[in-house]
Amino acid sequence: MRYAGLILVVGTFATGSANAHVTLENRQAAVGSYYKAVFAVPHGCAGSATTRIRVQIPEGVIAIKPMPKPGWSVETTKGKYAAEYELHGSKLSEGVKEVIWSGGKLLDDNYDEFVMATFLTANLKPNTVLYFPVVQECEQGVSRWIEIPKEDSGGHDHDSKSPAPGLRLTPKL
Amino acid sequence: MLVSAEPGDNSVVAQAPKVVQLRFNEAVAPAAIHLIDAEGKTRDVVVRPVDQVVLIALPNDLPQGTQIVSYRVVSQDGHPVGGSIMFSVGAPSRAAAGPTRGSSLSIIIWVAKIGVYLGLFAGVGGVFFVAWVGQQPAGGSVILSALYVGLASAIASLGLQGLDLLGQSLANIFTIAPWKVALGTSVGPSLLVAITAILVARLAWRSPSMTIACGLTALSMAGAGSALSASGHAASASPQWLTRPSVFLHGVGVAYWVGALAPLAVMARRRADTLPRVLERFSAGAVPIVGLLALTGLALACVQIGSVSALMQTEYGILLSIKLALVALLLALAALNRYWLTPALIADYTRARLLSRSVLTECLLAILILAIVGGWRFTPPPRAFAATVDAPLSLHIHTDTAMVQVMIAPGKVGADDFEFQLMDSNFGRLPAKEVTLTLSLPERGVEALERKATPGTDGNWHVRNVMLPVPGRWHVRIDLLITDFQKMTLEDDFELR
Repeated sequence: MRYAGLILVVGTFATGSANAHVTLENRQAAVGSYYKAVFAVPHGCAGSATTRIRVQIPEGVIAIKPMPKPGWSVETTKGKYAAEYELHGSKLSEGVKEVIWSGGKLLDDNYDEFVMATFLTANLKPNTVLYFPVVQECEQGVSRWIEIPKEDSGGHDHDSKSPAPGLRLTPKL
Repeated sequence: MLVSAEPGDNSVVAQAPKVVQLRFNEAVAPAAIHLIDAEGKTRDVVVRPVDQVVLIALPNDLPQGTQIVSYRVVSQDGHPVGGSIMFSVGAPSRAAAGPTRGSSLSIIIWVAKIGVYLGLFAGVGGVFFVAWVGQQPAGGSVILSALYVGLASAIASLGLQGLDLLGQSLANIFTIAPWKVALGTSVGPSLLVAITAILVARLAWRSPSMTIACGLTALSMAGAGSALSASGHAASASPQWLTRPSVFLHGVGVAYWVGALAPLAVMARRRADTLPRVLERFSAGAVPIVGLLALTGLALACVQIGSVSALMQTEYGILLSIKLALVALLLALAALNRYWLTPALIADYTRARLLSRSVLTECLLAILILAIVGGWRFTPPPRAFAATVDAPLSLHIHTDTAMVQVMIAPGKVGADDFEFQLMDSNFGRLPAKEVTLTLSLPERGVEALERKATPGTDGNWHVRNVMLPVPGRWHVRIDLLITDFQKMTLEDDFELR
């Protein structure tokens, strides 16, 4: 019973603070601009060390350049885009659809970030949330951060156990 | 997140452990810990968090069978995590053959039911009689006591019904759980309407204006009928268009008749000079009412019994036979009053002693009939046997993108097998990489129990031997992993008996 007060206090700090989920460090960006996506991994899978991080690139995000990490190898999977986008005068109809960091070992006691440079195309709808589903594979077990809320509940669904990292899109500057 | 539990989830231990250890991957603060023992009772536990481990001290006298420990904890980063573990002492609980109900609780439930009947029939019916037929406050003390008895019984019945549903003992009547559960079933609104009808009748008694009293009593009579037709075996039988109105009319008819008995008895005793006129007015209404009672009673009996042989062979049928015999006696007495004693009284209003004795006998018969009818609560009607037995539970859950057909066999308290048939929105087969079943029982505080399903050769997914040791409204959540990055969730509730 006395912990009820603790939950109330702590609950109000839950949004925006670091929590047990894999999340994006910067949760707001304008469409039609470059965006550095930083995926924060504060925990392993139920205590087990993380060995692989797979990020699925949502439609409308192009020009993916992952940042290499010491002790990890990074690979990308290419695929066709649903629409054709233009960047610096060249038309792009296909590009990176998945980024995979593997080969490393991130203990549950430690924290790390996985970074990639991206471009958010102007076709994306502002004032919505864009989700980057992440699959976190560990020595034992898998955590799938892939739940996408049905309606736009402000990018943070408190009821969801494994929400996908979300990015709030703002209008083009 | 929970890393491990000692004793482990779904394990069987020879002896009841003294302590349950829940180990998490970081330090947590326990918010709520529940223990439901193998008899379905909520028990107190002592909880002590030590770093990443939460120690739960169990009571010494745990019964054999499956116990559920549900936890809700808050981690340092503020995130609440909930779940449940089940472990069995000795052997997992077998499916309960039927609801295990203490006999003392049964008797109290029965007595409370009779109390509610008295409140509705003698109380509400009595006030109606005084307003519409008698037009004098004779028998007031009996009527008012009946109203108060009915009120107290109706309130108590709510809690008692909840205890019965949860299989708990009388000691739990002061916890919130039985009351919540009762209000969630059809019994809750039924008793609330009964309480309202009694209160309206009480208001009518105090009313200064005759017109208002007539209006209020008519309302409370309708309320009494509605309360009776809102729940119970008879009213929920099909065809609904026949049974619910029949129970309503039957109830109102009984209230008219039984409500008249106390005032008439008092007036007969006092040799009131208004008695002949009142009797005439009463008789004018009584004849069609008796016809209505006989008609609706016959219709309901046909629906419930189905065949004449069931009349003698089932418990329900035997009770019905006794009731019919008593009703026949009652009708004989009523005929006596109507055709012999009433004219005699009209001729000479001092000859009321025989009538008074006759009405008192009618009161006694009426109370016996109410006692019999109250006993029906404990004997399901024959039609119910035909339907239940081993029909497994079946759920169909539908979203825009997927459908699941869930089959739970045998669908009773104990070990159940779950089978899932996955379909896409076009009723085609939906292939999935993984299927996870999560069960919870919010009304008892049982948090998420997770089980992974295994694919079968028939294309369906199976989870076998899921222990559901407690009855109630369980919540099921099925997570389908379609691709590595895509998950679909379907949820629904089901009632487990």
